[in-house]
Amino acid sequence: MFILGIETSCDDTCAAVLKDDRILSDIVSSQINLHSVYGGVVPDIAKRAHQKRLPAIVALALKQSRKTLKDIDLIAATRGPGLGIALSIGYNFAKDLARENHIPLAAINHVEGHLLSVFLKNKNGLPHLSPHFPILGLTVSGGHTKIVLIKKIGDYQIIGQTLDDAAGEALDKAAKLLGLGYPGGPVIERVAQTGHSDFLKLPQPLQPKSILNFSFSGLKTSFYYQIKDWPLTKIAAHLSDLSATFQSAVFEHLTRKFSLAIDKYHPVSLLASGGVLANLTLRRQLRHLAKSKNLPIFFPPQKKLNTDNAAMIALAAFYRYCQDKSLNDLDLDINPRLEL
Amino acid sequence: MKIIKSNQKKYLTLAAAVINSGGLVIYPSDTVYILAVDPRNPTAVAKLLSFKNRWPGKAISVAVSDIDMAEKYVKLSSKTRLLYQNLLPGPFTLVSPGRHLVAPGIEAENGTLGIRIPDSPYILDLVKKLSFPITATSANLSGRTPHYSVSSFLNTLSQKKLDLIDLIIDAGTLPKNKPSTVIDVTEPELKILRRGDLIAASSQTFLSTSEKNTGKIAQFLLNKILHTAAPSNIVLALSGDLGCGKTVFARAIGRYLGVKGPITSPTFVIYNQYPVKFPPLNNFLHFDLYRLSSSSEFTEINFLSHFKKLTLSCLEWPENMGKVNLTWLKKHTSYFSINFEYVSENTRRLTFSF
Repeated sequence: MFILGIETSCDDTCAAVLKDDRILSDIVSSQINLHSVYGGVVPDIAKRAHQKRLPAIVALALKQSRKTLKDIDLIAATRGPGLGIALSIGYNFAKDLARENHIPLAAINHVEGHLLSVFLKNKNGLPHLSPHFPILGLTVSGGHTKIVLIKKIGDYQIIGQTLDDAAGEALDKAAKLLGLGYPGGPVIERVAQTGHSDFLKLPQPLQPKSILNFSFSGLKTSFYYQIKDWPLTKIAAHLSDLSATFQSAVFEHLTRKFSLAIDKYHPVSLLASGGVLANLTLRRQLRHLAKSKNLPIFFPPQKKLNTDNAAMIALAAFYRYCQDKSLNDLDLDINPRLEL
Repeated sequence: MKIIKSNQKKYLTLAAAVINSGGLVIYPSDTVYILAVDPRNPTAVAKLLSFKNRWPGKAISVAVSDIDMAEKYVKLSSKTRLLYQNLLPGPFTLVSPGRHLVAPGIEAENGTLGIRIPDSPYILDLVKKLSFPITATSANLSGRTPHYSVSSFLNTLSQKKLDLIDLIIDAGTLPKNKPSTVIDVTEPELKILRRGDLIAASSQTFLSTSEKNTGKIAQFLLNKILHTAAPSNIVLALSGDLGCGKTVFARAIGRYLGVKGPITSPTFVIYNQYPVKFPPLNNFLHFDLYRLSSSSEFTEINFLSHFKKLTLSCLEWPENMGKVNLTWLKKHTSYFSINFEYVSENTRRLTFSF
């Protein structure tokens, strides 16, 4: 079957076409040359204007997959969580498209999309995975930081989550403090490569082992006030040490709580996804952790599938359709604070 | 000794009658149970002092219903009036020069008198009914910890002490608020004589020493706002540096309005919306404008359309919204600014301009 996915929960406008769990096309606004889509300069006002970009992005996804709307069996759209105004543009667009073309609609949870993104395959059906359940999943992005116990696809239990900032947000804010720009994760990763990770002493958040939640706001505060009064030249001279120190504190916290959760819930495999997992240092740490626990760990098969994309939304819809052939969510609305 | 539950209608009349005739009443307040007598009646005050084992010279604060009643018993400077306006009713005792109209033992040796206007209908109703103040010292023996329930207090007392009590108004277990913060306002610089939950550094400044403390301040300010502003379309603009407790403050506001579950940073999604049942409010909005800058971005998220009747909003990084939006908000909502500053690792200064 062919599935058209649409995702507009935050900054990126995304559309994708899947054949079952195989990606035929996967378009993300920030990753393509919008000039070609617009035939001109992208106006600044379109920064968050999914409305302006969406029709072109969907058309491009269909074109690249060599399919038309007539071929599509199911339309999937993100229902939440996310920014209300952004969600409603993508979701309502999908709804109208579904109604006009008599195609069923699947309303998808963005976080479920991230969790399942590790099972996406390319158009040749690779990689082959045979996951066993229960799986313990860690999803870390600019907006989410969650540990989820996946008993089977569709059956999720949140084990831990952030009480304040998301991990990606903490990295973004640290980058901004260091003058490294937005989004901060990728820059911090690059700069941190040559730095020492014990340059400053940062607190270990939520120390008790019984707590499986995350908190990054204290790290950010401690980091900020230690360097606040430094002259710019000093910050510049220690940029890589500072980046490495902050990044390592964030990853240490993630890894530590994930490890505690593994010990408590005894999963048979692990997965990790979300924008921050594009960071190779974190991947390495999690691989190391999985190895020490003697468990397999799955990551999204391509780097660009870590960040927001519509392929993962279409995939979640595919799995749901397999369980329920009469699936049609036309009567559902967006929910900016949708729980898993 | 009689025990009356505070849900019985006659409790107020009874308590007033006992105090009027010089009796001692154990009475609920916004913090702990208190010992209430008529502070102008020397016999009643003597009874109170012998109950408390209080050595002479140590003052006993009194509760009044408003600033006018306070003015009859203490001298108020214009600076002190501001403190009254901004902090009271609330968990503060303000110590000012007395007018010596109370019985010996109430004012301190230096002639000052501590005044409270508790945020407690129990006390305000009683004082209004009496039209004179009552003593507001905590129900404990000197040097012991105060009590939040009647039974825990009675258990500590000897028969001799019990015989001194004429009436107890039992309001069950009180919420665990610390006794009030006692502030000496007689000198140019405020002096904290006893630390309660909230520490005021001036009529518009609080010092917070922990996240929990910031939460208490949030609760106090919200209460104040709900008392003074029309309870619809309220905006709290939270400005200040990173890591100063803005999100902590907003979370406390959300909790107070009844939001369950995590209240996390909205930086990534710009704002989070929580339905609440806090009549007449039905929505709590938590904005973070950190990532926004150009006015077109505000247009895109229909920024101003979110500020509707029956909504309370916390806005982080309000300085990013620009003049036009700010002017609109100030004109169309009850707009309050709270500024957060870093003092030391564990201390933040919160300044509000209401």
